[in-house]
Amino acid sequence: MINTLKKHRSPWLFIFFLCAMGCTLPPKNPEISTNRSPYQERKGNLENEEYVMVTTAVTMPMYMNRDQRAFLKWGEERNVKVSVLGPADWDVPAQINTIEEVIGTQPTGLLINGTDPAIAQVINKAVNAGIPTVVYDSDIPNADHAAFLGTNWYEIGRLQAEEMVQLIEGKGKVAYMGILGMSNMETGFQGYLDVLKKYPEIEVVGKYDSKASTEEAARISSDVLSAHPDIAGISGFDGPSGPGIALAVKEAGKAGKIKITTVDGEPEHLQLVKEGVIHMLAAQKRELFTWYGAQFLYDMVHGTNRLSNNDAKAGITSIPYRVDTGLLKITPKNIDQFVN
Amino acid sequence: MAKIKLHRISKSFPGVKALDQVDLEVSEGEIHALCGENGAGKSTLMNILTGNLQPNKGTISIDGHPTKINDPQDAFAKGISIVYQHLSLSENLSVAENIYANGHPINSIGFISYAELYRMTDRLLQELQLDGIRPKTKILNLSAAQKQMVEIAKALAKNPSILILDEPTASLTGKEAAILFSLLRALRKGGTAIIYISHRLEEIFMLADKISVLKDGKYQGTWPREQMNEGKLIKTMVGRNVESLKNESHSTAEPLLSLRNLSGDGFTDISFDLARGEILGLAGLVGAGRTPIANAIFGAEEYREGEIFLNGQHLPGGHPVKAIQKGIAYVPEDRAHLGLFLEMSITDNIAIGNPKSTLKKGWYSLGKAKKIAEKYTNSLRIATPGIGQKTINLSGGNQQKVVLGKWLNTDPEVLIVNEPTHGIDVGAKFEIYEILQFLASQGKGILMISSDLPELLGICDTILVINKGKVAGKLPIAEATEEKLMALASY
Amino acid sequence: MKQILQERIYLLIILLVTVCLVAGITFPTNFLTFSNFSQILLNVSVDTIVAVGMMLLLISGSFDLSVGSVVALTACLTAYLMQVLHIPIPMAIVLGLCAALVLGWINGYLVAYKGINAMIQTLAMMGIARGAALMLSGSGSQNLPYWFNTIGQSKLLGIQMPIWYMLLTVGIFTFLFKKTIFFRRYYYIGGNEKAADLSGIQVKKMKMLGFVISAGLAGVAGILISSRLGAALPTFGRGLELRVITAVILGGASLTGGYGKIPGALLGTLFMGIIANIMVISRVSGYWQEIILGIILILTLGLDKLLLKRYAQTA
Repeated sequence: MINTLKKHRSPWLFIFFLCAMGCTLPPKNPEISTNRSPYQERKGNLENEEYVMVTTAVTMPMYMNRDQRAFLKWGEERNVKVSVLGPADWDVPAQINTIEEVIGTQPTGLLINGTDPAIAQVINKAVNAGIPTVVYDSDIPNADHAAFLGTNWYEIGRLQAEEMVQLIEGKGKVAYMGILGMSNMETGFQGYLDVLKKYPEIEVVGKYDSKASTEEAARISSDVLSAHPDIAGISGFDGPSGPGIALAVKEAGKAGKIKITTVDGEPEHLQLVKEGVIHMLAAQKRELFTWYGAQFLYDMVHGTNRLSNNDAKAGITSIPYRVDTGLLKITPKNIDQFVN
Repeated sequence: MAKIKLHRISKSFPGVKALDQVDLEVSEGEIHALCGENGAGKSTLMNILTGNLQPNKGTISIDGHPTKINDPQDAFAKGISIVYQHLSLSENLSVAENIYANGHPINSIGFISYAELYRMTDRLLQELQLDGIRPKTKILNLSAAQKQMVEIAKALAKNPSILILDEPTASLTGKEAAILFSLLRALRKGGTAIIYISHRLEEIFMLADKISVLKDGKYQGTWPREQMNEGKLIKTMVGRNVESLKNESHSTAEPLLSLRNLSGDGFTDISFDLARGEILGLAGLVGAGRTPIANAIFGAEEYREGEIFLNGQHLPGGHPVKAIQKGIAYVPEDRAHLGLFLEMSITDNIAIGNPKSTLKKGWYSLGKAKKIAEKYTNSLRIATPGIGQKTINLSGGNQQKVVLGKWLNTDPEVLIVNEPTHGIDVGAKFEIYEILQFLASQGKGILMISSDLPELLGICDTILVINKGKVAGKLPIAEATEEKLMALASY
Repeated sequence: MKQILQERIYLLIILLVTVCLVAGITFPTNFLTFSNFSQILLNVSVDTIVAVGMMLLLISGSFDLSVGSVVALTACLTAYLMQVLHIPIPMAIVLGLCAALVLGWINGYLVAYKGINAMIQTLAMMGIARGAALMLSGSGSQNLPYWFNTIGQSKLLGIQMPIWYMLLTVGIFTFLFKKTIFFRRYYYIGGNEKAADLSGIQVKKMKMLGFVISAGLAGVAGILISSRLGAALPTFGRGLELRVITAVILGGASLTGGYGKIPGALLGTLFMGIIANIMVISRVSGYWQEIILGIILILTLGLDKLLLKRYAQTA
């Protein structure tokens, strides 16, 4: 009986042991780096110099008109090959998959849109594969990329809130919206609320999910307008929400009376400022993210500003760790400088 | 001169020569019956006449001019209208919208004029003596027979000079069929050339002026009605003499299935017994409540009151799976929609009745399933190139045998068959009767629902007539005649 | 020959091999490498596991639009249980999977027993599950526990675990669909629901279980993707449902039901994965990816029809 049992069990035990032996666990407690890792000297030459930018939602107009256009322009002026890759929709796992596949093709430099902290692993994979890597837009904690360029989202919230306080003279109801579930937005919300907290006469009536859609933002805004006819101001934290809020306010016949602050400086946003419907735009200098991001990669690879006899051996990089490109504050006062 | 003349028409499909040099000539004011078994090529011929298919060879002439029918629109333009066997109506639209599907009257600014549409429909329905149907009624609220009448009205709305009818009476009651026949006679007087396809021989002999026969895609000839009789026609269609049924009773006194005061949707207070070896016929008009009774026994429909016993034991309801486990099998009336998996093989169709029989050490075995399918394909003489054939490619008779094979594999005690020979050609019909009689001789009980009275009189031991959901009478076969049954079914 | 043409699987295999050969010749250093292929397989592993469930549903003549949201909800719920409520990892995984099963059960019950249209029901569930995921995780949970991450980040014989899970899922379901009456019933239900009911198949129950199984697989995919990334994002699985339905149809399923084989799900996702990979290697911009995938879908199905027709004519 025992013998037969053993007979039955043995192949399975064998397979189990085989599996256990063949199994490799991921490294435990990956080192949390506070410093940027140094750039490792590349083995290859620079003959086929190529810089690849991987983002998500590549078809988003703002990404196309600002980030990608500046990056492509940079490639043209430097006369090097540049490519833009990534999924058409907002899909972080798909962006990660794309980066993984790009690593296999060994580009000269990699410029990554920091969409979510979850991309830290793949950034480290690129760095370990010896590819100079720069992140823009939002910084990624626990990742070893050489540099980061972006905007302080807390600042976006703060700037909007301070302008709003002035516009509504320190009292009244306000509402705000953005894409819920995105970490940079949440940071922005925090900055916004931290300012408003100081004004007891301002009542925040709601936080809404615009789902990155103008239609949704318009729908939410008109609901807010009917629920709170006395609302004083509405703020938006994602590009599409600005025109949406403006549309609802215009349709309610309250253009100019209800104060609107929002982000981005796309043509439709600028037009609304000109019409006096939107009162302030906190716009990012997105062109600078990718232009200088690419330039940093180029300078790293070419050793443009060598700071030691051998930067790689010295364990240093010759580019800034962190760049805050700051914000554009667009109001009816300076709007004419932004429209043609 | 012939209104329409087909000369040496041939049409091939992959692997099949559907039509082989077929001739047909129909004159104005003539009802021309087209006969043949299923698969003889009648449908292909109709599809050629209506422009759905193009012949490989041969010519079509209308009024003596050779012509080509490009598509259904072209057929309408040339005055050809068809009443399909399978309904071609949109369920959610009104009668009027269906009848004038492609020819809505429009008002001066180009929109549909509904007032005019309903007026036209009303006039047409009056002409056809279809008083029960209102132009604004939605199709889905009509009975099957009424739908068929709307289908006919739709064809006639185009004032065709050539009218084709494909099994128009299959779902009509006697009264409705009579209206149709008088209508067809009126059209004949008006000069319409009518091609009439039917399996019902008595209709053909009542209506037709001439009879043409197709067999295996080949033209067999055309005869004036006076020179034809039923026996000769069957022989021409089938190519052999069909021996009449030998009615040997295998009925025993041992009750197998008993219904006691069963009431449900469409039937009330039904009681009867089915003995081992008995073939019990359920006669009645379409819609009399026979199918709901069968469904209730099989567990496919709930019943409110009463009890069902099998071998003296209470039969559980709820789902067919329970009835099947207890030894009940059901061949439903609509093969294509309820009985078969058309896109699946004969093997798969037969195996599903008793999936346990396909198991080998607890796992499904394709080899075993194939063996079972092979067995029934042979014993039921299913004509097919192989058991891997999809059932959609089989003729009606062979399809019905596949359904029977599925249930024989469950070794049932009671077999319920609902219109088992509907739309099946003569040869296969007799084979199905033989199967049913063989099963009875094995001690099975058979409950047979049929609207074909000669069929019921031919093989049943007892006939129960259902009228308006109730048992109207019970006749031992010795006492039953068509007249008595009709009287009980429609008093 | 006809057999080969009738099963889209074979056509797809021929296409796959052709595409790989052409790409291998065009990109000799980058494409036909072990690391690139294991990367492709890794990238399609989550989609494939969901696609197996979707294949089951399409065979039975149904489909589920909420799978992408179920992936997100399972991931976010499991992360929430581990990080916020400090429930032991195995327990959290079991609870996460249970949530997926419950969502599948609700879908299945309402579609099968209450007759709600599958499109409407699963569309509603898609919104509900996505909303719940957002509520649970806000901007997403990072730095999941190490032992949780080992599920998706370990390697066996040098190959990443998600690939093994994918192959295991495809293997098990291929076997089950070949060898058990239970799963074979889905072909009958997809072929003719009414006839299946009258043949003794409890169609309602089976349909409900189909949704449960499919949602369960989506739950597994959710656990896997979050452990692979070490993070749970509420945006997981956005657009996954349509991608998976596309893959499954490429792999031989039909929206009318009754057709399809489980390995077809893998071939479908693999085909899409390889096309996406070639586009990355050849640096085709992301704008083109969807357009090219759409064209490929139409071409493949068109070729399929054309070959069948050509065969029918020559026979």
